[in-house]
Amino acid sequence: MATDMNELLTNGLDRAVELMVVAAHNSFRFGGRNTVKIARLTTEDQQEIAEFCYSLGDMSPLAARDGRFLMELIKEPCALLMFGDRRKSDLNFNCGACGYKSCAEMNRAEEVESLTARGPSCQFKAINLNIAAGAAASTAWRLGLYCRVFSTLGFASFALNKMEDVDMAVTVSVSVAKNDPYFDRHQYWTDEHWKETFNKEFPTFTRGFIGAIEQE
Amino acid sequence: MSKERSIKQYEEDRRQAAAIAARLLLASATTSPRVGGVGECTIQIIDDECDIEDLCQAVEQMAADNEKWAFFKRDAMMLRDADAVLIITSIRCLTDPADINCNMCGHLTCEYQRKAPKLEKEPGIAYTGPLCLFRANNISYAVEAIVSTARTMGIDYGVYWSAGAAAMRMMIVPKNTGFCLAVGISISEKSPFRDVPKDYADINETTMNDRIIKRLWPQFRSIYS
Repeated sequence: MATDMNELLTNGLDRAVELMVVAAHNSFRFGGRNTVKIARLTTEDQQEIAEFCYSLGDMSPLAARDGRFLMELIKEPCALLMFGDRRKSDLNFNCGACGYKSCAEMNRAEEVESLTARGPSCQFKAINLNIAAGAAASTAWRLGLYCRVFSTLGFASFALNKMEDVDMAVTVSVSVAKNDPYFDRHQYWTDEHWKETFNKEFPTFTRGFIGAIEQE
Repeated sequence: MSKERSIKQYEEDRRQAAAIAARLLLASATTSPRVGGVGECTIQIIDDECDIEDLCQAVEQMAADNEKWAFFKRDAMMLRDADAVLIITSIRCLTDPADINCNMCGHLTCEYQRKAPKLEKEPGIAYTGPLCLFRANNISYAVEAIVSTARTMGIDYGVYWSAGAAAMRMMIVPKNTGFCLAVGISISEKSPFRDVPKDYADINETTMNDRIIKRLWPQFRSIYS
Protein backbone atom coordinates (compact mmCIF):
# COMPACT_ATOMS: atom_id res chain seq x y z
CA MET A 1 0.00 0.00 0.00
CA ALA A 2 1.26 3.50 -0.79
CA THR A 3 2.48 5.56 2.15
CA ASP A 4 0.47 8.64 2.97
CA MET A 5 2.03 11.95 1.90
CA ASN A 6 1.70 13.56 5.32
CA GLU A 7 3.43 10.61 6.92
CA LEU A 8 6.27 10.90 4.40
CA LEU A 9 6.52 14.63 5.08
CA THR A 10 6.66 14.34 8.86
CA ASN A 11 9.13 11.46 8.71
CA GLY A 12 11.24 13.43 6.22
CA LEU A 13 11.12 16.45 8.50
CA ASP A 14 12.32 14.36 11.44
CA ARG A 15 15.27 13.01 9.43
CA ALA A 16 16.07 16.49 8.11
CA VAL A 17 16.12 17.93 11.62
CA GLU A 18 18.52 15.18 12.67
CA LEU A 19 20.81 16.03 9.75
CA MET A 20 20.63 19.72 10.64
CA VAL A 21 21.73 18.91 14.19
CA VAL A 22 24.62 16.82 12.83
CA ALA A 23 25.72 19.72 10.59
CA ALA A 24 25.43 22.19 13.47
CA HIS A 25 27.26 19.89 15.84
CA ASN A 26 30.16 19.49 13.40
CA SER A 27 30.23 23.11 12.23
CA PHE A 28 33.30 25.31 12.40
CA ARG A 29 33.95 26.86 15.79
CA PHE A 30 36.70 28.96 17.31
CA GLY A 31 38.79 27.21 19.94
CA GLY A 32 38.11 23.79 18.40
CA ARG A 33 35.88 22.68 21.27
CA ASN A 34 32.19 22.06 20.80
CA THR A 35 30.21 23.53 23.69
CA VAL A 36 27.00 24.49 21.88
CA LYS A 37 23.90 22.72 23.20
CA ILE A 38 21.18 21.82 20.73
CA ALA A 39 17.62 20.64 21.41
CA ARG A 40 14.45 20.14 19.41
CA LEU A 41 11.54 21.78 21.19
CA THR A 42 8.21 19.98 21.35
CA THR A 43 4.97 21.37 19.96
CA GLU A 44 3.82 22.12 23.53
CA ASP A 45 7.03 24.09 24.10
CA GLN A 46 6.40 25.99 20.89
CA GLN A 47 2.84 26.71 21.97
CA GLU A 48 4.15 28.07 25.27
CA ILE A 49 6.79 30.19 23.49
CA ALA A 50 4.18 31.54 21.09
CA GLU A 51 1.89 32.57 23.94
CA PHE A 52 4.78 34.15 25.83
CA CYS A 53 5.88 36.14 22.76
CA TYR A 54 2.31 37.21 22.06
CA SER A 55 1.92 38.37 25.68
CA LEU A 56 4.84 40.80 25.22
CA GLY A 57 2.46 42.83 23.04
CA ASP A 58 3.36 46.50 23.09
CA MET A 59 6.65 45.89 24.87
CA SER A 60 7.97 44.21 21.74
CA PRO A 61 5.70 44.31 18.67
CA LEU A 62 8.19 42.19 16.77
CA ALA A 63 8.08 39.40 19.38
CA ALA A 64 4.27 39.64 19.42
CA ARG A 65 4.19 39.29 15.64
CA ASP A 66 6.44 36.23 15.84
CA GLY A 67 4.21 34.84 18.60
CA ARG A 68 1.09 35.19 16.45
CA PHE A 69 3.02 33.68 13.58
CA LEU A 70 4.24 30.67 15.59
CA MET A 71 0.68 29.89 16.71
CA GLU A 72 -0.27 29.51 13.04
CA LEU A 73 2.95 27.74 12.10
CA ILE A 74 2.54 24.83 14.51
CA LYS A 75 -0.73 23.85 12.87
CA GLU A 76 1.30 22.34 10.03
CA PRO A 77 4.34 20.02 10.37
CA CYS A 78 7.27 22.09 11.64
CA ALA A 79 10.19 21.91 14.04
CA LEU A 80 12.01 24.38 16.25
CA LEU A 81 15.66 23.85 17.10
CA MET A 82 17.13 25.70 20.05
CA PHE A 83 20.85 26.45 20.28
CA GLY A 84 22.35 27.62 23.56
CA ASP A 85 25.75 28.23 25.08
CA ARG A 86 27.44 29.60 28.18
CA ARG A 87 28.57 33.20 28.22
CA LYS A 88 31.97 32.83 29.91
CA SER A 89 35.07 32.48 27.77
CA ASP A 90 37.21 29.35 27.83
CA LEU A 91 39.10 30.52 24.75
CA ASN A 92 41.71 32.85 26.27
CA PHE A 93 41.94 35.09 23.19
CA ASN A 94 42.13 38.34 25.22
CA CYS A 95 40.68 40.16 22.21
CA GLY A 96 38.80 42.97 23.99
CA ALA A 97 35.51 42.63 22.08
CA CYS A 98 33.52 42.12 25.31
CA GLY A 99 34.86 45.38 26.74
CA TYR A 100 37.30 43.76 29.16
CA LYS A 101 41.03 43.60 28.63
CA SER A 102 41.33 39.88 29.29
CA CYS A 103 39.11 36.80 29.34
CA ALA A 104 39.87 36.31 33.04
CA GLU A 105 38.63 39.83 33.78
CA MET A 106 35.40 39.20 31.83
CA ASN A 107 34.80 35.87 33.57
CA ARG A 108 35.22 37.58 36.95
CA ALA A 109 32.85 40.45 36.09
CA GLU A 110 29.48 40.67 37.78
CA GLU A 111 26.77 38.69 35.99
CA VAL A 112 23.83 40.74 34.75
CA GLU A 113 20.48 38.91 34.71
CA SER A 114 17.78 39.70 32.21
CA LEU A 115 14.81 38.11 30.52
CA THR A 116 16.56 37.68 27.18
CA ALA A 117 20.13 36.68 28.06
CA ARG A 118 22.77 36.81 30.76
CA GLY A 119 25.75 39.07 30.17
CA PRO A 120 28.48 40.03 29.66
CA SER A 121 29.25 37.31 27.14
CA CYS A 122 32.28 36.32 25.16
CA GLN A 123 31.96 37.55 21.57
CA PHE A 124 33.53 34.39 20.20
CA LYS A 125 31.17 32.12 22.18
CA ALA A 126 28.29 34.02 20.60
CA ILE A 127 29.89 33.65 17.17
CA ASN A 128 30.30 29.89 17.69
CA LEU A 129 26.66 29.61 18.72
CA ASN A 130 25.41 31.48 15.67
CA ILE A 131 27.71 29.59 13.29
CA ALA A 132 26.09 26.38 14.57
CA ALA A 133 22.64 27.89 13.93
CA GLY A 134 23.81 29.01 10.47
CA ALA A 135 25.08 25.52 9.66
CA ALA A 136 21.70 24.04 10.58
CA ALA A 137 19.97 26.67 8.44
CA SER A 138 22.20 26.06 5.43
CA THR A 139 21.56 22.31 5.70
CA ALA A 140 17.82 22.97 5.83
CA TRP A 141 18.18 25.18 2.75
CA ARG A 142 19.97 22.42 0.87
CA LEU A 143 17.38 19.84 1.90
CA GLY A 144 14.66 22.08 0.51
CA LEU A 145 12.94 22.91 3.81
CA TYR A 146 11.42 26.28 4.57
CA CYS A 147 13.64 27.81 7.20
CA ARG A 148 14.25 30.95 9.21
CA VAL A 149 16.58 31.87 12.06
CA PHE A 150 14.64 33.49 14.93
CA SER A 151 16.32 35.45 17.70
CA THR A 152 12.96 36.54 19.14
CA LEU A 153 11.94 32.92 19.74
CA GLY A 154 15.48 32.28 21.02
CA PHE A 155 15.07 35.00 23.65
CA ALA A 156 11.64 33.64 24.55
CA SER A 157 12.88 30.06 24.93
CA PHE A 158 15.69 31.38 27.12
CA ALA A 159 13.19 33.34 29.22
CA LEU A 160 11.06 30.21 29.62
CA ASN A 161 14.14 28.21 30.63
CA LYS A 162 13.76 25.60 27.88
CA MET A 163 17.43 24.62 28.16
CA GLU A 164 19.47 24.17 31.34
CA ASP A 165 22.82 25.87 31.92
CA VAL A 166 22.85 28.29 29.01
CA ASP A 167 23.26 32.07 29.03
CA MET A 168 22.23 32.92 25.48
CA ALA A 169 20.10 31.21 22.87
CA VAL A 170 19.02 31.35 19.26
CA THR A 171 16.47 29.24 17.39
CA VAL A 172 16.10 27.87 13.90
CA SER A 173 12.60 27.06 12.72
CA VAL A 174 11.89 24.74 9.80
CA SER A 175 8.62 23.81 8.17
CA VAL A 176 7.14 21.66 5.43
CA ALA A 177 3.97 23.75 5.09
CA LYS A 178 2.02 24.11 1.84
CA ASN A 179 3.72 27.41 1.06
CA ASP A 180 6.70 29.27 2.53
CA PRO A 181 5.38 30.56 5.87
CA TYR A 182 8.46 32.57 6.85
CA PHE A 183 8.47 35.49 4.46
CA ASP A 184 5.93 38.08 3.31
CA ARG A 185 3.96 37.60 6.52
CA HIS A 186 1.63 40.53 5.94
CA GLN A 187 -1.33 38.78 7.54
CA TYR A 188 0.28 39.13 10.96
CA TRP A 189 0.22 42.94 10.87
CA THR A 190 -3.06 44.83 10.98
CA ASP A 191 -3.60 47.78 8.63
CA GLU A 192 -3.94 50.24 11.52
CA HIS A 193 -0.73 48.98 13.09
CA TRP A 194 1.10 49.34 9.80
CA LYS A 195 -0.11 52.93 9.29
CA GLU A 196 0.66 53.91 12.87
CA THR A 197 4.15 52.43 12.77
CA PHE A 198 4.92 53.90 9.35
CA ASN A 199 3.89 57.38 10.44
CA LYS A 200 5.91 57.05 13.61
CA GLU A 201 9.03 55.72 11.92
CA PHE A 202 8.95 57.88 8.80
CA PRO A 203 7.19 61.10 9.84
CA THR A 204 8.77 63.06 7.01
CA PHE A 205 7.45 60.77 4.27
CA THR A 206 4.24 62.71 3.75
CA ARG A 207 5.59 66.08 4.83
CA GLY A 208 6.22 68.86 2.28
CA PHE A 209 9.24 70.49 3.82
CA ILE A 210 10.66 70.80 7.31
CA GLY A 211 8.57 73.17 9.41
CA ALA A 212 5.50 72.96 7.20
CA ILE A 213 2.10 72.85 8.92
CA GLU A 214 0.75 69.31 8.75
CA GLN A 215 -2.63 68.84 7.11
CA GLU A 216 -4.67 66.07 8.64
CA MET B 1 63.13 27.41 -12.26
CA SER B 2 61.93 26.48 -15.64
CA LYS B 3 58.55 24.85 -15.99
CA GLU B 4 56.74 23.37 -18.91
CA ARG B 5 54.31 25.75 -20.55
CA SER B 6 51.33 23.54 -19.71
CA ILE B 7 52.32 23.46 -16.06
CA LYS B 8 52.65 27.25 -16.00
CA GLN B 9 49.21 27.45 -17.59
CA TYR B 10 47.83 25.18 -14.87
CA GLU B 11 49.34 27.34 -12.12
CA GLU B 12 47.85 30.47 -13.68
CA ASP B 13 44.40 28.88 -14.04
CA ARG B 14 44.52 27.65 -10.47
CA ARG B 15 45.15 31.21 -9.26
CA GLN B 16 42.30 32.48 -11.42
CA ALA B 17 40.01 29.81 -10.03
CA ALA B 18 40.81 31.03 -6.53
CA ALA B 19 39.97 34.62 -7.51
CA ILE B 20 36.64 33.57 -9.03
CA ALA B 21 35.84 31.33 -6.05
CA ALA B 22 36.54 34.21 -3.66
CA ARG B 23 33.93 36.30 -5.47
CA LEU B 24 31.35 33.50 -5.40
CA LEU B 25 31.99 33.07 -1.68
CA LEU B 26 31.44 36.82 -1.29
CA ALA B 27 28.06 36.38 -2.99
CA SER B 28 27.12 33.60 -0.58
CA ALA B 29 28.24 35.61 2.45
CA THR B 30 26.32 38.66 1.28
CA THR B 31 23.03 36.78 0.90
CA SER B 32 23.34 34.93 4.21
CA PRO B 33 20.83 35.86 6.95
CA ARG B 34 21.11 39.28 8.66
CA VAL B 35 19.07 40.18 11.71
CA GLY B 36 16.28 42.42 10.45
CA GLY B 37 17.82 42.43 6.98
CA VAL B 38 19.98 45.40 7.95
CA GLY B 39 23.28 45.82 6.10
CA GLU B 40 25.87 44.90 8.68
CA CYS B 41 28.78 43.07 7.07
CA THR B 42 31.17 43.95 4.30
CA ILE B 43 33.45 41.43 2.67
CA GLN B 44 36.88 42.49 1.44
CA ILE B 45 38.69 40.20 -0.98
CA ILE B 46 42.48 40.12 -0.90
CA ASP B 47 43.71 37.94 -3.75
CA ASP B 48 46.97 39.65 -4.63
CA GLU B 49 50.03 37.75 -3.40
CA CYS B 50 51.76 40.93 -2.24
CA ASP B 51 48.65 42.16 -0.39
CA ILE B 52 48.33 38.78 1.35
CA GLU B 53 51.97 39.07 2.38
CA ASP B 54 51.35 42.57 3.80
CA LEU B 55 48.45 41.19 5.83
CA CYS B 56 50.53 38.26 7.09
CA GLN B 57 53.30 40.62 8.21
CA ALA B 58 50.75 42.66 10.13
CA VAL B 59 49.48 39.47 11.79
CA GLU B 60 53.05 38.50 12.71
CA GLN B 61 53.72 41.91 14.24
CA MET B 62 50.65 41.56 16.44
CA ALA B 63 51.94 38.28 17.92
CA ALA B 64 54.23 40.18 20.28
CA ASP B 65 51.49 42.56 21.48
CA ASN B 66 49.71 40.12 23.80
CA GLU B 67 51.06 37.03 25.52
CA LYS B 68 47.99 35.03 24.43
CA TRP B 69 48.58 35.84 20.76
CA ALA B 70 51.67 33.68 20.20
CA PHE B 71 49.66 31.55 17.75
CA PHE B 72 49.38 34.55 15.40
CA LYS B 73 52.78 33.65 13.92
CA ARG B 74 51.50 30.23 12.96
CA ASP B 75 48.31 31.76 11.53
CA ALA B 76 50.39 34.16 9.42
CA MET B 77 52.49 31.33 8.03
CA MET B 78 49.35 29.37 7.10
CA LEU B 79 47.75 32.37 5.43
CA ARG B 80 50.87 32.91 3.33
CA ASP B 81 49.88 29.69 1.56
CA ALA B 82 46.32 30.93 0.93
CA ASP B 83 45.36 31.90 -2.62
CA ALA B 84 42.88 34.52 -1.39
CA VAL B 85 41.78 35.94 1.93
CA LEU B 86 38.26 37.20 2.59
CA ILE B 87 37.96 39.79 5.35
CA ILE B 88 34.46 39.88 6.85
CA THR B 89 33.65 43.00 8.84
CA SER B 90 30.87 44.09 11.14
CA ILE B 91 30.36 47.82 10.63
CA ARG B 92 27.56 48.55 13.12
CA CYS B 93 28.53 46.68 16.27
CA LEU B 94 30.87 49.44 17.48
CA THR B 95 28.76 52.54 16.99
CA ASP B 96 25.18 51.44 16.40
CA PRO B 97 23.74 48.91 18.91
CA ALA B 98 20.63 47.05 17.74
CA ASP B 99 18.22 48.77 20.20
CA ILE B 100 16.61 45.52 21.30
CA ASN B 101 17.94 45.53 24.88
CA CYS B 102 19.01 41.87 24.77
CA ASN B 103 21.65 42.13 27.53
CA MET B 104 24.11 39.80 25.79
CA CYS B 105 26.76 42.51 26.27
CA GLY B 106 25.88 42.67 29.97
CA HIS B 107 24.71 46.31 29.97
CA LEU B 108 20.95 45.57 30.26
CA THR B 109 19.84 48.20 27.73
CA CYS B 110 21.33 49.60 24.55
CA GLU B 111 21.22 53.07 26.13
CA TYR B 112 23.60 51.92 28.88
CA GLN B 113 25.73 50.10 26.31
CA ARG B 114 26.15 53.33 24.35
CA LYS B 115 27.30 55.15 27.48
CA ALA B 116 29.68 52.40 28.61
CA PRO B 117 33.29 53.51 28.09
CA LYS B 118 35.04 51.73 25.23
CA LEU B 119 38.46 50.17 25.73
CA GLU B 120 41.32 52.47 24.73
CA LYS B 121 43.16 51.60 21.53
CA GLU B 122 46.41 49.94 22.57
CA PRO B 123 48.66 47.23 21.12
CA GLY B 124 47.32 44.46 23.38
CA ILE B 125 43.68 45.10 22.44
CA ALA B 126 42.33 43.67 19.18
CA TYR B 127 38.75 44.99 19.33
CA THR B 128 37.73 48.02 21.37
CA GLY B 129 34.69 46.60 23.18
CA PRO B 130 32.10 46.53 24.56
CA LEU B 131 30.58 45.76 21.16
CA CYS B 132 26.95 45.08 20.35
CA LEU B 133 27.05 41.27 20.34
CA PHE B 134 23.68 41.03 18.67
CA ARG B 135 24.94 43.06 15.70
CA ALA B 136 28.30 41.33 15.57
CA ASN B 137 26.58 37.92 15.52
CA ASN B 138 25.62 38.61 11.90
CA ILE B 139 29.24 37.99 11.02
CA SER B 140 28.84 34.36 12.04
CA TYR B 141 26.14 33.80 9.41
CA ALA B 142 28.41 35.33 6.77
CA VAL B 143 31.34 33.14 7.84
CA GLU B 144 29.12 30.06 7.91
CA ALA B 145 27.86 30.84 4.42
CA ILE B 146 31.44 31.08 3.16
CA VAL B 147 32.36 27.82 4.88
CA SER B 148 29.35 25.92 3.60
CA THR B 149 29.72 27.21 0.03
CA ALA B 150 33.45 26.47 0.07
CA ARG B 151 32.66 22.92 1.15
CA THR B 152 30.17 22.56 -1.69
CA MET B 153 32.65 23.87 -4.23
CA GLY B 154 35.42 21.69 -2.84
CA ILE B 155 37.67 24.54 -1.78
CA ASP B 156 39.91 24.41 1.28
CA TYR B 157 39.25 27.08 3.87
CA GLY B 158 40.50 28.28 7.22
CA VAL B 159 38.85 30.80 9.54
CA TYR B 160 41.11 33.17 11.51
CA TRP B 161 40.36 36.08 13.77
CA SER B 162 44.02 37.10 13.87
CA ALA B 163 43.98 38.25 10.24
CA GLY B 164 40.69 40.07 10.84
CA ALA B 165 42.20 41.99 13.74
CA ALA B 166 45.29 42.74 11.65
CA ALA B 167 43.16 44.03 8.76
CA MET B 168 41.54 46.47 11.19
CA ARG B 169 44.97 47.66 12.27
CA MET B 170 46.03 48.09 8.65
CA MET B 171 42.90 50.21 8.12
CA ILE B 172 41.89 48.36 4.96
CA VAL B 173 38.31 47.89 6.23
CA PRO B 174 35.45 50.41 6.65
CA LYS B 175 36.29 52.96 9.35
CA ASN B 176 33.49 52.05 11.77
CA THR B 177 34.41 48.37 11.79
CA GLY B 178 34.18 47.01 15.34
CA PHE B 179 34.69 43.32 14.71
CA CYS B 180 36.39 41.50 11.92
CA LEU B 181 37.17 37.90 10.95
CA ALA B 182 39.10 36.44 8.04
CA VAL B 183 38.69 33.33 5.91
CA GLY B 184 41.62 32.07 3.88
CA ILE B 185 40.88 29.91 0.85
CA SER B 186 43.21 27.68 -1.06
CA ILE B 187 43.00 25.66 -4.24
CA SER B 188 45.86 23.21 -4.01
CA GLU B 189 46.48 19.50 -3.56
CA LYS B 190 47.02 19.78 0.19
CA SER B 191 45.05 22.16 2.32
CA PRO B 192 47.48 24.60 3.95
CA PHE B 193 45.04 24.94 6.86
CA ARG B 194 45.04 21.31 8.00
CA ASP B 195 47.75 19.03 9.43
CA VAL B 196 49.85 21.99 10.43
CA PRO B 197 52.81 21.35 12.77
CA LYS B 198 52.72 23.18 16.12
CA ASP B 199 55.86 25.22 15.32
CA TYR B 200 54.83 25.92 11.75
CA ALA B 201 56.17 29.48 12.03
CA ASP B 202 59.70 28.04 12.11
CA ILE B 203 59.37 24.76 10.25
CA ASN B 204 57.44 25.11 7.01
CA GLU B 205 57.87 24.60 3.29
CA THR B 206 59.70 27.88 2.80
CA THR B 207 62.24 27.43 5.59
CA MET B 208 62.75 23.75 4.73
CA ASN B 209 63.47 24.63 1.09
CA ASP B 210 65.63 27.52 2.07
CA ARG B 211 67.75 25.73 4.63
CA ILE B 212 68.14 22.35 2.97
CA ILE B 213 67.64 22.37 -0.79
CA LYS B 214 68.59 25.94 -1.64
CA ARG B 215 71.68 25.90 0.55
CA LEU B 216 73.06 22.67 -0.84
CA TRP B 217 71.97 22.69 -4.46
CA PRO B 218 74.22 25.54 -5.79
CA GLN B 219 77.35 23.92 -4.32
CA PHE B 220 76.32 20.49 -5.54
CA ARG B 221 75.83 21.96 -9.00
CA SER B 222 79.22 23.69 -9.12
CA ILE B 223 81.14 20.75 -7.71
CA TYR B 224 79.70 18.26 -10.18
CA SER B 225 79.72 20.57 -13.21
